[in-house]
Amino acid sequence: MKLRDIFKTAVKGLFRSKTRTALTMLGIVIGIASVILLMSVGQSAQDLILNQVQGAGSNLIYIIPGANKSSKFSAPSSGLGIIIKTLNKNDLDTLKREASIDKAAPEVRGQARVVYNSNDISVTYDGTMPDFFAIRNFTLAKGYAFTQNDVDSFNHVAVLGFGTAKTLFSNFEPIGKTVRLKNITFTVIGVLDHKGVGAGGLDQDNMIILPVTVAQKQMLGIDYYNDIVAQANSAYDINFVESRVISVLRQNHGITDPNKDDFTVMTQADVVALLDSITTVLKLFLTAIASISLVVGGIGIMNIMLVSVVERTKEIGLRKAVGATNKDIIQQFLVEAALLTFVGGLVGILVGALFTIGLYLILVSFTTISWTLALPFSAIGLAAGVSIIIGLVFGIYPARKAAQKSPIEALRYE
Amino acid sequence: MISLKNIQKAYYDSDPPTIALNNISFEIRQGEFVAIIGPSGSGKSTLLHILSFMDRPTSGVYTFFGKKMHDLSDAELAYIRNKEMGFVFQSFNLLGHASVYDNVEIPLLYSDVNIKDRKKLIEDAVKAVGLADKINVEAGKLSGGQKQRVAIARALVNDPQVIFADEPTGNLDSQSGAQVIKILEDLHAAGHTIILVTHETYTAQFANRTITIKDGGVESDKEIVKNQHHKFFK
Repeated sequence: MKLRDIFKTAVKGLFRSKTRTALTMLGIVIGIASVILLMSVGQSAQDLILNQVQGAGSNLIYIIPGANKSSKFSAPSSGLGIIIKTLNKNDLDTLKREASIDKAAPEVRGQARVVYNSNDISVTYDGTMPDFFAIRNFTLAKGYAFTQNDVDSFNHVAVLGFGTAKTLFSNFEPIGKTVRLKNITFTVIGVLDHKGVGAGGLDQDNMIILPVTVAQKQMLGIDYYNDIVAQANSAYDINFVESRVISVLRQNHGITDPNKDDFTVMTQADVVALLDSITTVLKLFLTAIASISLVVGGIGIMNIMLVSVVERTKEIGLRKAVGATNKDIIQQFLVEAALLTFVGGLVGILVGALFTIGLYLILVSFTTISWTLALPFSAIGLAAGVSIIIGLVFGIYPARKAAQKSPIEALRYE
Repeated sequence: MISLKNIQKAYYDSDPPTIALNNISFEIRQGEFVAIIGPSGSGKSTLLHILSFMDRPTSGVYTFFGKKMHDLSDAELAYIRNKEMGFVFQSFNLLGHASVYDNVEIPLLYSDVNIKDRKKLIEDAVKAVGLADKINVEAGKLSGGQKQRVAIARALVNDPQVIFADEPTGNLDSQSGAQVIKILEDLHAAGHTIILVTHETYTAQFANRTITIKDGGVESDKEIVKNQHHKFFK
């Protein structure tokens, strides 16, 4: 049978029951649209997270307490919520003396409600040092950042995130006003520029930055740091600086066996790689969930094709009587199934793309998230290919059933 | 050209097995108009299925234009059905939703006829059965007689050597039946071999030979004197 005739016969077969064809196709449309949408959302989320890490500053080195035992790309113990107290002021001071380090700032974090008059909201407060603003590219919309003198003198001054200032003060001037955090009063000396959601999902607009000494001693009552973020001197290779940092910390902590490190040092590239691997797994997970609907759609195709084979038993008998071989019959039903899923796949790609664009427009218009539109061609190609494969896989059983019919029995079928 | 020697067909789905055909032997020459007659359950349909390559005998040798059936694969049988055989069924077996053109085209889909030549072959076949004006009409909307004429057009579109007609007038009124028989006679006159299976003795009389099947065997095999024919339809 000629290819043209196979397609012509398949198209006529599908057009015979238009409503049923459309409804059967719907399963594939939903499945493919879901795959496209979730793959695109996964890609956009991955881009967002990685861009945020890369935009956090340049030549950054993160020093985190606790070791990551399994590999460089697994989360260190402190990242899993275990409190580890090994990073302290001595480490910071030693690192700052290193020629290969430009700047370094410690961080301690906590959650509290901040109160101004009758307004109060829950925020993350970050205790750090003045270098932090430069390292993390935090610029000020109003006022100024605190100084080393503020840190050393335990001054109760605070720099508010853009959103925190807006919520607490609305259109009023925040600079010079006092806010209350855990019953400690702070004078607002600065407001950050709009920053959006940072790496790790932290809303950098809804935070308060305090001198590390105040946050550490008076609010949290601790004498260790949650992490230290350092900026390498650009004159040095980042990997060299990383090894210097490790060497300094081992010396400070009296560690001779590298397997007994009680800290983790990660460059920005390491963090990007770690987040890339995490988000890739997330993307695959999302795609796998969406794929379930494709399998359901495929079973729907098989079901309808089986019904079609039964309904067209006499037609199969006739075609075999006038010369169709088993191969011809298999081809006819397989092409019908593949055509059904291919067209469903194309419509699904279109619907998925429209939903992806719609989601992008909503997020960009109504939120502060720097969402990017990602419609990967790989997803489109994969969806088109998968839709045809589904047609072939789920069409083969009904097609074989059709071909196996004896022409005599088929012609007698009522 | 068609030769059956000791053809037996048994069905082993019961105990004892059902013997549908037993030691059938005869020959049909090219250009004959043969009627296979017999009562219901006699085995004539089984015989037709074997003659038309739709079923294989349990034993015996069936030779069709020099080719022994048992030497041929299913695909080769399908090829011969397509090139050398045409089929007319009692219940027409048309695709009701498809046009007359599309129905007549079906055997050509499985042949090696050039796509360009198809249109003329289909139009000629439809014209030969007097339905040229209905070529684009849905087959399901035609009368019974017209449907059977479409089925005949489909049977002859590949210009087969042999046309098998299984109770072709069984679902038709006498007038439509007469038209169908007339077409079969014309095809016979044009050189086609016609093998007609019927239980109606008056339809069988249009053939020039009748083979009567009874209890799975050949009861009689007679030539018919031609000039007695048309009185039934006059």
